[in-house]
Amino acid sequence: MIKTISLLTLAFLTLSAHANPALEGDWMIEMKPSGAPIIGLLQLERDGDNWKGFVEGGPVPVTVNGDRVDILIDTRDLRGFIFFMRLDGELNDGKLAGTFTIESEAKVNASDGTWTATRYIEEVRSKEPDPVDLSGIWSPAPGRDFRKYVMDLTPAAEAWHADYLMHYDQPNVRCVSPGITAMVAWGAYPFEILESEDKLTFIYEFDSEVRRIFLDGREPPEFYPNSGMGFSTGHWEGSELIVETTLLSQNTRDFRGEPISEQARLEEVYTLSEDGQSMTAVITLHDPDNYRRPPIRRRAWTRKPETEIYPNECDPDSFYRQMYNEGLLDMYFERSRRRF
Amino acid sequence: MTIMAKRISCAVIACFMSAVASAHHSFAAEFLGDQTIKIEGTVSEIWFKNPHVRYYIEVPSDDGTSTTWDVRTSSPTILVRRGWNRDTIAEGDRVIVEGYLGRDGRKLLSLISIELPDGTVLHHSY
Repeated sequence: MIKTISLLTLAFLTLSAHANPALEGDWMIEMKPSGAPIIGLLQLERDGDNWKGFVEGGPVPVTVNGDRVDILIDTRDLRGFIFFMRLDGELNDGKLAGTFTIESEAKVNASDGTWTATRYIEEVRSKEPDPVDLSGIWSPAPGRDFRKYVMDLTPAAEAWHADYLMHYDQPNVRCVSPGITAMVAWGAYPFEILESEDKLTFIYEFDSEVRRIFLDGREPPEFYPNSGMGFSTGHWEGSELIVETTLLSQNTRDFRGEPISEQARLEEVYTLSEDGQSMTAVITLHDPDNYRRPPIRRRAWTRKPETEIYPNECDPDSFYRQMYNEGLLDMYFERSRRRF
Repeated sequence: MTIMAKRISCAVIACFMSAVASAHHSFAAEFLGDQTIKIEGTVSEIWFKNPHVRYYIEVPSDDGTSTTWDVRTSSPTILVRRGWNRDTIAEGDRVIVEGYLGRDGRKLLSLISIELPDGTVLHHSY
């Protein structure tokens, strides 16, 4: 499987002599498995006879033949097992449509289905603030996110990642905060939004983390420390909440262990549904030190006022105990330079 | 309600509400996604804490020795929401566990289901 991923990282250039140039460009793709739909940004680019494909900012192998396109998207299930969605489709009347099948060595909870893609049109938001009421308790809803596994890393990030040791090097296995980038994208836990005049306060169940999103345009205090949650400001564009977070500490983006630098900027766009009962977010990580294209995640939540936010503390004893029992503590501490 | 009655009550709830969870680190780094086994033994220790709930299970061998298996589930809050709490399974319980096998021959299981002494079967799926 690791070999497959390495090949995938290297082999997203595909030659096609009879490709329809109308396939080139940005598309919004929607996957329809048996469960909740998944949506994302598909980018098809041509360089002479070579085609490149990207989904949510990460490379994918693409084969183009006339109006037909074949795409292999790498993803992971909720446990971290890697699998692939193989898409076969055709351009017709300016739209792409086809079927996809799941390819996996592990038993994963995923189904075959159909897919469509329409031209991506950048949203033009009103600059006039029209705030909506996001306050309340939100529970994760399924679907939406591709969980694209491999992103378009810079050479420096590739070099860093080449020495990444799964499990042992992931900060939150030893109860360090996974950071806001991962916390927003991971979907297992509820959170609460409290509104006040100059800020929104997000109280996450995961790790009992608290985050303040300042709405008054303030700058961070001098020497404000970098941290997993960073420093967040927000503003309304129409009824959408735009949140920008900087001053992040170094961390990893997702299970693969791709890095996040202290210079990264996280952008989140929150949208409330018409009935006010569901909320979605598009989460984009801008970190040119590590990514040539910004990785994108998408999440959805349902308003659940009856849900309690539970305390959520973490004790790393079992992590160290396992290494002690297996004689791996020396190995772990010899890699301390890898710890952020 | 006695402790035993509370345990059975919780177990019955959990029986109908299988825990569906999302990991916050990669199980794939430690477990084989295509290999499952069943073990039968006695719960010797319970770790009902983050990052993941663990049940240590003593499994006897024919030669009179025993092996300790480290059986992992989800985080406490995810289990508790589905009626599976720290009293649902007790030290000393004789249980049958099915799970994904740990990599490299390690005595680790990622729990799929656990059969309790009263025959109740709790499921944990992703």
